Amino acid sequence: MFLLRLAARNVFRRRGRTLIISSILVLAVAMFILFESLMVGMMDVSFRNVIDFEIPHIEIARKDYFTESEKSHTLPIGKRFIPEDRLISDVQKLKGYQAMTGILEFSADFISGRYEFPVRVRAVDPDTFNDVFMNSQYIVAGTFLDGNGPGVVIGSRLAEFFDLDVGEYFVMRFTDIGGSFNTIEGEVTGIVTTPHPDINLTTVFVNREHAAPRIGVEDLAVTQLMVRLEDRELASSQSNALMDTLGGNPLQARSYREGADFLVSLEQWGYLETYFLLALFLLVGAIGIISAVVLSAIEREKEIGMMKAMGMGESSILRLFMLEAGGIGVVGGALGCLIGAVIIFFFNTYGFDMDIFMDFSEIGVPVSGRIYGPWNFDAFLLIFVIVVIVSIIASILPALWAARKNPIDAIEKR
Amino acid sequence: MSLLTLEHVDKTYGQGDLQVHALNGVDLTISKGEFTTVFGPSGSGKTTLLNLIGALDRPTSGSVVFLDKPIGSMNRHEQAAHRRFHVGFIFQSYNLIPVLTAYENVEFALKITGIRDSKKIHSQVTDMLDHVGLSELMHRRPNQLSGGQKQRVAVARALVKHPKLVLADEPTANLDSKTSKEVIEVMLRMNRELHTTFIFSTHDPMVMEYARRMVEIRDGNISQDTER
Ligand SMILES: Nc1ncnc2c1ncn2[C@@H]1O[C@H](COP(=O)(O)OP(=O)(O)O)[C@@H](O)[C@H]1O
Ligand SMILES: [Mg+2]
Repeated sequence: MFLLRLAARNVFRRRGRTLIISSILVLAVAMFILFESLMVGMMDVSFRNVIDFEIPHIEIARKDYFTESEKSHTLPIGKRFIPEDRLISDVQKLKGYQAMTGILEFSADFISGRYEFPVRVRAVDPDTFNDVFMNSQYIVAGTFLDGNGPGVVIGSRLAEFFDLDVGEYFVMRFTDIGGSFNTIEGEVTGIVTTPHPDINLTTVFVNREHAAPRIGVEDLAVTQLMVRLEDRELASSQSNALMDTLGGNPLQARSYREGADFLVSLEQWGYLETYFLLALFLLVGAIGIISAVVLSAIEREKEIGMMKAMGMGESSILRLFMLEAGGIGVVGGALGCLIGAVIIFFFNTYGFDMDIFMDFSEIGVPVSGRIYGPWNFDAFLLIFVIVVIVSIIASILPALWAARKNPIDAIEKR
Repeated sequence: MSLLTLEHVDKTYGQGDLQVHALNGVDLTISKGEFTTVFGPSGSGKTTLLNLIGALDRPTSGSVVFLDKPIGSMNRHEQAAHRRFHVGFIFQSYNLIPVLTAYENVEFALKITGIRDSKKIHSQVTDMLDHVGLSELMHRRPNQLSGGQKQRVAVARALVKHPKLVLADEPTANLDSKTSKEVIEVMLRMNRELHTTFIFSTHDPMVMEYARRMVEIRDGNISQDTER
């Protein structure tokens, strides 16, 4: 106990140095807390955007549809299927089931005026589509699809690209099931601006009833059956459960995480990067701690010598210096958490404009606009403990060096 | 009754051409309750001798025996344990712990002996500070004390664990003659009241006057040993 008191007083006595050394740790802690929150916030928004606008919790398609659509640029419209009643009732029995919708997806060139642009067309049933996806809530002009008309809904960036407005004329050219070119023509009925930047540029929505005969597929044919559940957490387990009931069926069910595997690996990279940066800061912090202990041992050579002359054991001196380093770690960790908390408070309340960094959609991350960092108290606790432990570990060698000093020096040095 | 015996003690520093023979065949016996000074010119070997007596160092040859224990041949951990319980040190430059109060500095010496009984610690520490006349100033830090007061704290710190032997290497070298007198008188009083054995080195004839035994050392040899 008295070692702890002595250590605390020494840390306080050298408060200037304590603050300088611990400021590196403060930086490491605050940086980690911010990055962690940024990561979690960004990934949360990204996954939410994927789920709400692109691939919901579970996506069911033919196995060969999944493999081929990943390989080629053209979506394999031939790999369609007609959902059986058995499948539909199995899906409805899933835990947390909310809604499902079938979509027919194919590649086309969107043409207007002198320009054309490759797009992904989603032929949808508006009623059920709107139970699963949120696109219709982000209409900025016109209306979302209704009935079975030839109109399309396009994203705002595509509209900007073609300088198109609601009511204006378009043509979509595609290869039908028989291998010959065909078109869908009509007027733009609505424009959406979703938080998912990809959707705003490359996806066009059209009524399935209108599109199916023009592609040459059956009225009920879909390429994917999209399922919405109550909660993201259920996605993996329910998609696995569905896989079990599908058995030898050529269909496959997968969760949004498998569909968005790029995001999943990006998430891992992000964490790796965060931890790498953290390790770098901690390394600098550890060097600071080492120099603090060395400096302190040099200044207090006589004091150490006196304590040893009085018979204090080397292990006690080792512990004293380790406690002092731990004290610097506690100061740095606590201040860092405090500053981190202030940063997160602002981040959480006012959000952070991601667009000032870069256009994330260009690297395939579906985020735009403001994101809000969540509070993650585990991150605070984790980093605090790490900083204190790193400080103590860094001090071991210089503390050993201090503890081995010759007590005779205390008497001789003046 | 003898407390400490040195037989044929040599101490050589360095190696080869750079060798310094700091002590050459010293024989010395210290009895319990002595108040002895070791004096001699600078470089004669006083500090070296006190370091050996205090188990801070080991002789190159010869034996140092403290109450049947061969302290000269112990390893450094055994020597530390021996010092912790049996030897009190008073240093020329006080060497108090700056972040601790006078009271806590004295308490420190007791705590490292492993005593946990806080009542006992409190009474021993206050008692000892009373003995050296510092009861009033016990909550001051070293930087709020004068040189003489600091050295009295150091005396209390050396004595609080009731060691068998107290060693002081030039304890008054940093003090003016009036305070030197105060400090040496406190030491003498402790010697009388507690029967603690004191060995101190000094240059100062006035301080030497207080000793009951005077050991003169020259070129690493005891040249004179007189009792009064
Ligand atoms: N650590 C050491 N290394 C080398 N020589 C030393 C060392 N300590 C003392 N000496 C030498 O030993 C001799 C005795 O020194 P010391 O015991 O300090 O004398 P005093 O205390 O009487 O001045 C001196 O010549 C001194 O230079
Ligand atoms: Mg000396």
